Amino acid sequence: MPSDSTLSPDSPDSPDSGPAVPAAPGAPARRSFLRGLAGGVAGGVIAGGAAGAAAGYAYRGAPADPAAAADEVIVDGLLPAVPFHGKYQAGILPAPSRSTMVVSFNATAQGKAELVDLFRTVTDRARFLTAGGPPPVVGINGPPSDSGVLGPTVAPDGLTVTFGVGSTLFDDRYGLASARPRRLVPMTSFPNDDLDPAQCGGDLILQLSAGNADTVVHALRDIAKNTRGGMQANWRIDGFASPARPAGTVPRNMLGFMDGIANPSVTSRAAMDSLVWVEPGTAGEPAWTAHGSYFVVRLIRMFVEFWDRVDVGEQETMIGRRRASGYPLDGDSVYATPDYAADPTGDIVPLTAHIRLANPRTAQSAPSQILRRAYNYDRGLDQVGDLDMGLIFTCFQQDIGRQFAAVQTRLIGEPLVDYISPFGGGYFLALPGVTGPSDYYGRTMLA
Amino acid sequence: MGTRRLRVAAQFAAAGAALAASLAACSSGSSGGGQPANEITVSSSECGGSWRVPGPGWHTFEINNQGTTGAEIDLVDPADGAIYAEVENTGPATVTPMTLDIGSGKYAFLCSFSDYDPQQGAVVTVPGHATGTPAILPITYNDLIPLAKKYVTEEEVAIKVLAPETAALSAAVESGNLATARRDWLTAHLQYETLGDAYGAFGNFDTEIDGRADAVGVNSPQWTGFYRLEYGLWHGQSLKSLAPVAATLNRDVDQLATWWPTQEVTLSDLGRRAHEVIENALEFQLTGHDDYGSGSTLASTVAAIAASRVLLALLHPLLAPRYPGLPSVYTGLDQLQSLLEQERRPSGWWVAESALSVSQRQAIDAACGQVLQELAPIAAITEPRNTLNAF
Repeated sequence: MPSDSTLSPDSPDSPDSGPAVPAAPGAPARRSFLRGLAGGVAGGVIAGGAAGAAAGYAYRGAPADPAAAADEVIVDGLLPAVPFHGKYQAGILPAPSRSTMVVSFNATAQGKAELVDLFRTVTDRARFLTAGGPPPVVGINGPPSDSGVLGPTVAPDGLTVTFGVGSTLFDDRYGLASARPRRLVPMTSFPNDDLDPAQCGGDLILQLSAGNADTVVHALRDIAKNTRGGMQANWRIDGFASPARPAGTVPRNMLGFMDGIANPSVTSRAAMDSLVWVEPGTAGEPAWTAHGSYFVVRLIRMFVEFWDRVDVGEQETMIGRRRASGYPLDGDSVYATPDYAADPTGDIVPLTAHIRLANPRTAQSAPSQILRRAYNYDRGLDQVGDLDMGLIFTCFQQDIGRQFAAVQTRLIGEPLVDYISPFGGGYFLALPGVTGPSDYYGRTMLA
Repeated sequence: MGTRRLRVAAQFAAAGAALAASLAACSSGSSGGGQPANEITVSSSECGGSWRVPGPGWHTFEINNQGTTGAEIDLVDPADGAIYAEVENTGPATVTPMTLDIGSGKYAFLCSFSDYDPQQGAVVTVPGHATGTPAILPITYNDLIPLAKKYVTEEEVAIKVLAPETAALSAAVESGNLATARRDWLTAHLQYETLGDAYGAFGNFDTEIDGRADAVGVNSPQWTGFYRLEYGLWHGQSLKSLAPVAATLNRDVDQLATWWPTQEVTLSDLGRRAHEVIENALEFQLTGHDDYGSGSTLASTVAAIAASRVLLALLHPLLAPRYPGLPSVYTGLDQLQSLLEQERRPSGWWVAESALSVSQRQAIDAACGQVLQELAPIAAITEPRNTLNAF
């Protein structure tokens, strides 16, 4: 085990630390995840890239429609940079971008100091990758610093890096037990779940989202190579959000239905403060959690062959919406609010319809609303040659028990459960935002 | 475990009522005049008014529900009530598209509003000799009710076969004879699988009798039933420790035998279950998911085929005139069953799914997938629909 003496003393935001010099042959290389390799370059790019980082609500042009991502300015097929610095992490509010990846890690850093270095390194890499720019040139001193997947200059392409922590990080390894977020627990197994432990949980969660799949995979390779000794991946899944078809703002899932219509408005500060962000001074929560957000990931297989063998009328009554238009069965537009009070016996929208159970639209159920962010996944075949595809369900909230778990409890036994099977995921807390060049992920947690 | 039940009692009452007045709505049978071709207004007192189409070809009607309740709207052949197209669960003040290929013939809307008798609108004749979307004769609640009663009776008989089998299983576990216990387990479990328990047909009983460890884990005391017992019998657990599990299973089956005859089958479940039991076998048996040690998932798939055949036999008189693919269903089931039975060993035990060669597995999975495609239309065809009682 290499000692901490190999750690670079550089400050993470030191503007002039320059490209790293590889360790001498034979010297332990395990600590290459530390910021020596990356810090300086990232620091050089921040100044321009993050200049516009202001309020946490300004993102991707902040489309007027809560679910809209259609207004994004795309140049040469690439999205503009999303400001990295802010009170909140920048990847939480935006509508799903075209490509995403969710990766769970366990922390392997030895001791608190190494953990701090890990978080600083992830921060530095995220700062650089989200701003873009030329990677450092290593020359004859070693292999290139960048994978080259995005060409000689890294384009930001709307990349967001959402970083979070799981309950297991708060055991006795790093002395963080007293810092454990009050509402952070291991993910519950619900009655219709079939969870694979190898695809559940983790000390750390990383979600990378961008306009293109190569941007996402480039970011993962960059972060991973710079953090080799500090964290080890547990499970990973790639996802995508489809273009809205035939038009509009809501992408479809692999069941053919529009997904993510009924969300609280991300342009409403009041809604976000009451539903998404951990508010400063929340009873029992450690102060450092303020402006973070509880982050639920659920990997849900969809049995699409079975689903495709069901007539559309039955599909629609299970979901509660028209498949073609996305309208609720009792409504005349995608965003129409179903009037369940006028349909108490479920003649129009059945009482067991997914949308009705998930969001009964009552005063009582309003505080259980989540910010739902679903992506499709598609990754090969199962044992009988059927398609292994489904949903990477993610959501953000203030309190998992009050929100996601309450919603999921209402959904127990819904007719849709025969066509889906939750098999993985976890509960996490997305950390507060990185507020500026000298800040880093989890600084107040690790203080 | 979820259910796919839609309660139909209310609609049944409406459909069963006499509709002497309804034919009065069949007024002006003309293809001229009327509201814009694509807008069809319906309410509890109006079923499309007068309308017209330009001629044969693809057409989308916008069904505008101006009523105060939900409705099912069908486009039918007024001669025999056969349905060309349907929109279900239209809410008040909504507009729902209905798309079909209009052929030559007679068309009328049939409007079934909650709490109202179905009414038929104007008859429109499309001239010429064009072929369009075919109409299918609806199956009614009255068609299905006697079948559902017969199904309950047949299942009751099968449960009465099961009950002594689980009693024998329980006795074998109690007596400490592992070989007998395993054999009795297979006999009883396959009998249970022939009941077609897929997707919650037996409600909570299914969880107690045949639940998986998925949500609770194999060490949970909450896990009971056949699979729990299988896990123990094939994982070296002592028969003494399993005796209470077997006794509970036996008791749960006895309770099922008492409970089942009191149940009413949701009518739309008859057609659905005919394919659901095979879907269930593909998802849980042919994948090996439900192999808790005995390697008998291929046998369970054969049992599922038997369950599907019970339902198909009941529905056959209704399906034969309506579903041209029905013969393919039977040949597909035969083919799948024959492939599976090749994996039955002389000892009475079966080749485990995990021991199949790639070519064996692919042949079975392909046959299963194909017959599922053939089975898929049955649920839609046999869904009970509202009709004028004139038919």
